[in-house]
Amino acid sequence: MIWHIVKRELFDHINSLRFVLTVLIFSALMVTNAVVHLRPHPERVRDYSEDVTNASNALKSRTQLYALAEKGPGKLYKRPSSLSFIADGGDAYLPKRTYNEGSWSKNSIGGNVKSNWWLGYGTVNPDAKDLRPQGTKIDWGFIITYLLSFIPLIFTFDALSGERQQGTLRLCLANSISRPVLLIGKFLGTLITLLIPFVFAVLLNLIVISVDSWTQLSGADWGRLGLILLIAASYAGIFVGLGLMISAGTREPRVSLVILLLIWVAAVVFMPSTLGILSTKWMPPVQTSDQLYTTRAATLDQINTDYDERMMTIKENKYPGLLSISDIQKLSKTSPEAAMAALKKLQEASETEGDEELALKAEFVNRDVEIRERFNREHLDSQIAQVQRARRVTRFSPAAIVQYALEAMAGTGFNRHLQYLEHVHRYTRQFREFIVETDRADTQSLHFIGIAEGMSEKPIASESIPKFEDKITFIDTFNTATLDLLLLVLLLGVFLSGAFLVFLRAEV
Amino acid sequence: MLRNLIHQELSGHLMSARFLAAVVITLLLVVANAVVLLEDYEQRLGRYNHQENVHRQKIQEAKTYSRLNLFIERPPNPLSIFSSGLDKRLGSTFEIYHGSVPMISSGSARGLENPFLNLFSKIDLVLIFQVVLSLMALLFAYDAIAGERENGTLRLVISNPVRRGSILFAKYIGAMLCLLIPVLMSLMLVLILLSLNSAIHLGREDFLRIGGIVLTTSIYLSVFYLIGLLVSTLTRRTATSLMICMFLWVVLALVYPNWSRFAINPVGDTRAIESSTSEQIEQIWEEVDREERQFLANTPLEGKPPRFNISMSSSMTSDRRRKQINAYKVNEASEPLVPHVQKYHETMGNLYIRLAEETALIQKQSLDNTTLRRARWDERLMKLSPVGLYRFATTAWAGTNLDGISDFVQAAQGYRRTVIDYFQDKEAFGSRQWFASDRGTVDRWDLPQFRFERTDAWENATRALPELLLLLFINLVVFTVIFTVFIKIEV
Repeated sequence: MIWHIVKRELFDHINSLRFVLTVLIFSALMVTNAVVHLRPHPERVRDYSEDVTNASNALKSRTQLYALAEKGPGKLYKRPSSLSFIADGGDAYLPKRTYNEGSWSKNSIGGNVKSNWWLGYGTVNPDAKDLRPQGTKIDWGFIITYLLSFIPLIFTFDALSGERQQGTLRLCLANSISRPVLLIGKFLGTLITLLIPFVFAVLLNLIVISVDSWTQLSGADWGRLGLILLIAASYAGIFVGLGLMISAGTREPRVSLVILLLIWVAAVVFMPSTLGILSTKWMPPVQTSDQLYTTRAATLDQINTDYDERMMTIKENKYPGLLSISDIQKLSKTSPEAAMAALKKLQEASETEGDEELALKAEFVNRDVEIRERFNREHLDSQIAQVQRARRVTRFSPAAIVQYALEAMAGTGFNRHLQYLEHVHRYTRQFREFIVETDRADTQSLHFIGIAEGMSEKPIASESIPKFEDKITFIDTFNTATLDLLLLVLLLGVFLSGAFLVFLRAEV
Repeated sequence: MLRNLIHQELSGHLMSARFLAAVVITLLLVVANAVVLLEDYEQRLGRYNHQENVHRQKIQEAKTYSRLNLFIERPPNPLSIFSSGLDKRLGSTFEIYHGSVPMISSGSARGLENPFLNLFSKIDLVLIFQVVLSLMALLFAYDAIAGERENGTLRLVISNPVRRGSILFAKYIGAMLCLLIPVLMSLMLVLILLSLNSAIHLGREDFLRIGGIVLTTSIYLSVFYLIGLLVSTLTRRTATSLMICMFLWVVLALVYPNWSRFAINPVGDTRAIESSTSEQIEQIWEEVDREERQFLANTPLEGKPPRFNISMSSSMTSDRRRKQINAYKVNEASEPLVPHVQKYHETMGNLYIRLAEETALIQKQSLDNTTLRRARWDERLMKLSPVGLYRFATTAWAGTNLDGISDFVQAAQGYRRTVIDYFQDKEAFGSRQWFASDRGTVDRWDLPQFRFERTDAWENATRALPELLLLLFINLVVFTVIFTVFIKIEV
């Protein structure tokens, strides 16, 4: 019986004007998406591989262990996703690589000290040269979140209220059809009608994309595409359920349409951005970059003076009666000759270098790196926390849920960026361990990491330096999407049962 | 009779659920977004004031003319709450320096404190009207004719001694009045929120501009209502009319504005132009080296500019486009060299001014061919739809469009000229105070101040006029078509 109803619904819909319009709009947008994707994508892939080769060549040219510690591993690039046509994920606003924040050198009584490399994250602000009007990219995300929610409403707003108005609903129920069966029949019928043009358009899109040799879809990618279809189907199902629910509860199709469209406009068009921005207003503001710089500078100043004092004590132990620069300046006013002698002694003291000094220098350099990285990391973490909370709030809107799930599947967007950062952190640890291990293997080295004189001077084989590779694995993407997938299924259940409850109690 | 008809239409709409729902949802969205937008504006204003102070501080600290770094700050536009346009995106700090002319792309932007928040797109009040109220207009219109024809009430009305034209007219007026109610109500709410906020001061001109935005909104909504009415007169059934209206709306209001920007980019890759521009500019500035060598050949100065071999207690920066020293005292031994250094800075100052202007010409051409051309193409394509016309008209009213920002850049360029004239009047370039502060420092009291006034509302109106006229024209065309169809139609 249920299949009979599904079939009837299907035939009804397929012969209707709205079906034709749906096919047209889906196909047009999907083809545009594919064609536009083909234009910049090869360039992006080429740029990425060029950048990576350059970076690894630069890394290979560093044959000294100290050079590795001082200059670091170079820029670490984020791999562009081959599925970026599915969800752009605001990639223009996310950094594509790590940044080198500079270096310093300090010349004091302990001799010359140079900074070691530290990890900087960099930020991306909108391009100030871009004068084009703003807009969203027409990716699958746009097509699914906007149209696969709008069109289900257009198909269902009169599903029950229309039949009730015409009296056909009473006729139907007078037969031996139970209400749940009728509802399920209508639900499945509409969902299948919607998925036919969607899948057709998706296939068109994939045909155009696969013509091009730059985008090669692997087995895992096909798995992702399958999941994306599932996401799209359950998202459309949510709105079919919503449509049936409102339609069952109202007497006139006109009224149900207005209610549905207004819910849609609020939930799909406005909520994902408005809620996101609104929620950040209630959170404690993140530290501004000025504040970051001042607090970091204060901490760095402290270790700097600490270093100077300790170095002075070491030197004083070796050369009793040593005067500091400021003392010498004072002395020069009273007796210039004595000051000259003291200065000479100071110079002599700063030129000699023992293990103690090297150990102190190494400690200083490493603490400097540690502090800088800690501050950068804390700043980044607070920014990330803000965005994540905002994203959690926007999940009130199913459109945002689907957007995030699609981003996870496509390997773009914010979660992908977090994965990239995790890769960067893991690699940085590995890189530093490599330096320590290599140094430890050399018996001639003094094992003061971070100081030229204290480290192994044996040339290192360029192959043995760990290389950064940013990989997008299927399991990673799936893990980040699980929450969103669960939420979607839950919402689908809620709206379907809602439609049941309303319809069971409705008078016909 | 006409009044009767209007009255009936009006009460029909006002009592309907769709009207209530439209008002509620519009107001909710307006309030939620207005709160965010106001706070955002306040933040930007705070940053503007802070930056202004920083710049003033810098001027106070300068002891020599070459160290007098002038920066100006673009104030945030309070009307960006209504239509944000380019106001938030483009750079806001511009340097005023005789060696470079400020251009639209040379401002530096500070951006958000948390740049990740750019991931959430911004919504301004105009966007709410654009999306929600255009939908409402279509929902008011789709059954206006088709529905009455289906019910048979249209035949009933026409059997009275009423002209068909006045029926159409009554429907139009009734629906438009209903559509204006949510617009005006949200405007009131926003104005209340604005007046509660002490940071924002709106002048008379601003109210005129807001009036302009409301006018544009009503003309825009009328376009959508008339499109709906046209569909309604052309179709026999409300169901068909509704479907066509809904798909038209999705395409016009949501898909096309994004689609045109995304799909069509006739400008293509501009990297070649950009690199050739920077090469040309490099070549121009090579003249500095030549000129310098020529000049130095005839003087006893040795060593590298800007400091040469004169000894003084100083700090300095040196790159090709900017050579400055902040000397506190010239040592006595170097005193005979000072006139030569003065002469050097005078020659170089004038050379920099000339080269900067030449560079600006090239930069302007390059901008016209790349960034601006791309922006203009997008504008043209978007203006094929009423939504695009509406967006550009409202940014023109608010002064947040390209013209509005260019006004500021022009003011900045004018200010640079004034400062140069001031320097030349004072003969600052060739003066000892240009680099040394031991015999008198910079006079700051008569330094020209930068002032920027937004253009008056009349200018905004003339800028919005082409789009407004186009919207009106669409109105007229659609109305005539509806009229001719409706006159001949069978009921």
